[in-house]
Amino acid sequence: MAASQIQNPLQNPLYQLSIRKTRPCLHKPHYLTINAAGHHLSGRKLRVAVIGGGPAGSSAAEALASGGIETFLFERSTSTAKPCGGAIPLCMIDEFSIPLHLIDRHVTKMKIISPSNLAVDFGSKSLRSHEYIPMLRREVLDSFLRTRAQSAGAQLIPSLVTHLEIPSSYFSPYIIHHSINNSRKTLAVDAIIGADGANSKVAKFIKAGNYTCAIAFQERIRLPDEKMEYYQNLAEMYVGDDVSPDFYAWVFPKCDHVAVGTGTVCAKQDIKLYQRGIKERVKSKINGGKVIKVEAHPIPEHPRPVRVRGRVALVGDAAGYVTKCSGEGIYFAAKSGRMCGEAIVRASDGGELMIGEDDLKREYLMEWDKKYVSTFRFLDLLQRVFYGSNVAREALVEVCGNEYVQRMTFDSYLYKKLAKGDRWEDLKMVFGTIGSLMRCKIVGREMEAFKL
Amino acid sequence: MASISISASLQRACSSQHVRRKQKPIPKPTYSLGTKQVMKAVTLDMEAQKGYKTDTKEEPASEMNYKSKDPEERLKEDFETESSAPKFRDERWKNGTWDLNMFVRNGRMDWDSVIIAEARRRKFLEMHPEATTNEEPVKFRSSIIPWWAWLMRTYLPEAELLNGRAAMIGFFMAYIVDALTGLDVVGQTGNFICKAGLFVTVIGVLVLRKTQDFDNLKKLADEATYYDKQWQASWKDQNATSSSDRIGNT
Repeated sequence: MAASQIQNPLQNPLYQLSIRKTRPCLHKPHYLTINAAGHHLSGRKLRVAVIGGGPAGSSAAEALASGGIETFLFERSTSTAKPCGGAIPLCMIDEFSIPLHLIDRHVTKMKIISPSNLAVDFGSKSLRSHEYIPMLRREVLDSFLRTRAQSAGAQLIPSLVTHLEIPSSYFSPYIIHHSINNSRKTLAVDAIIGADGANSKVAKFIKAGNYTCAIAFQERIRLPDEKMEYYQNLAEMYVGDDVSPDFYAWVFPKCDHVAVGTGTVCAKQDIKLYQRGIKERVKSKINGGKVIKVEAHPIPEHPRPVRVRGRVALVGDAAGYVTKCSGEGIYFAAKSGRMCGEAIVRASDGGELMIGEDDLKREYLMEWDKKYVSTFRFLDLLQRVFYGSNVAREALVEVCGNEYVQRMTFDSYLYKKLAKGDRWEDLKMVFGTIGSLMRCKIVGREMEAFKL
Repeated sequence: MASISISASLQRACSSQHVRRKQKPIPKPTYSLGTKQVMKAVTLDMEAQKGYKTDTKEEPASEMNYKSKDPEERLKEDFETESSAPKFRDERWKNGTWDLNMFVRNGRMDWDSVIIAEARRRKFLEMHPEATTNEEPVKFRSSIIPWWAWLMRTYLPEAELLNGRAAMIGFFMAYIVDALTGLDVVGQTGNFICKAGLFVTVIGVLVLRKTQDFDNLKKLADEATYYDKQWQASWKDQNATSSSDRIGNT
């Protein structure tokens, strides 16, 4: 028996009605949905499977389990980790209670280097004494978050998900086919959170659509001690056509080695060329180093066309929550996992009620978009303006020399809040940016004149 | 299935030779960085040609040795073959910045030549990227050049064109409005509609400079809203799900 959406308080008991917040600007329902949302689950709790045990999946599983929902966390390889830069914002340590001993390095200085080798020091004057960018190893962070999810009550299933059966009726559960130790098993759940990264299987099964990916390629190089001293708490960013046509190349310090890498969207087949380019640019600083690992991974560029379908929600990299311009994804993955988990807890009233697609959209998608779309849009604008050509990159590096700009950047990056600045300084910054762009454009036009 | 950790052996197999051949993607410079100043670039040109030739000669010989060496030696060898690449040299470029004293002409500072020199340096580095060093960091900021020095190199020719166009339009519009309404130029400047029309025309001439500008603006608008559309795509999925829901109803 389905509870209808038509509000009729006399005939249906209150717990069978779902309370809707109406926001007509987002979607106009012009059809009648008869669904089981709000249906009381008699005798059992809501079952939710989280597929993918990275930061997104573990945070989702933790939020779900703490809310009283029966949670299953699928992770196919608990010992390896995705290749990653490993930088997290400071606010993540507080929000996710990450113990400080997991942090390998405290980056307090950053250098951004233009195509003409102009190096600007980012942070020596504008970072406060207690601020830094924590760098961690992904395997350490991931296993910590997973064990925490387990202690909250989630069941970790170390197997590979092979197939997902979409239910034909609204009351049937989703069937997950997975294989563990070469034996196939199935699991029936009511809702799924897909947190399995850029090549998400869950997204494929719910036909969530494709997105363009950038490829990030990096080499881990162990340096001799005196060269490692330079990178003690310094990270470098290189921009230029020789290192990446539409992104930046980096040298990030890790526990006892550095990661030298680059990324690109439009020229994936030339990635080795760009990697060579960045190694050339840092030649003198990594001379004598030994390459210990080479790794590559796709990074989504924008959100998938569909992030929620049926009772399946995508979070983290699977949904495409990676910012442009900086390529930051760990914090947004963990945050979206947690928000989705909490949304399900809220919508199902602690696991008592069945949830529907509208619940997921309202509680999770709407909240997420409200909070972070402006951040993503702003970074997209920055990428389009400053990463397009060498001329624009020179302007970017010049603009970054300004202390106010640095302060604002750190405030928004470390605390993920729109930094409140001085209006007068904001205006000066805008004029300074326009001035830099114009100057570099003029020099660029002069450069054209030197061609044959 | 791209989430693979590519091991070092795969890198070896992945045609290192292929990468080497592509290492100078920009066509070899037969340009002349021609200015009337001291031409160190001539010798640099020769070096560039030489450098490229030695690379191609080295390839077949070292190809066999390359595979047998371990990663560390390979790293060193890669760098050694690159040391023949030309470096930027200019007598006025000292310690990572331009020595402004050398740009003085007739007792006055010649900012124009500073701009040209910087453009030349950036062009050179674009063609032959150089490694950054801690010993000689680049410190030159273009902001030390005063704003009035840039004006000569800005959009003067284009401004001339636009002013000319605006003047021609203005003259003929004044004539036509006079013929239609009887208001002469003095009268037209007093009328609100005429003033509004003048404002629109001026903005139009500035914005729509050529016919292709119109397409450019449309493309820009599309690009600017594209990212937004990607975010909104999830919400537009309503029709797709509603039909599947109706199937599953009892």
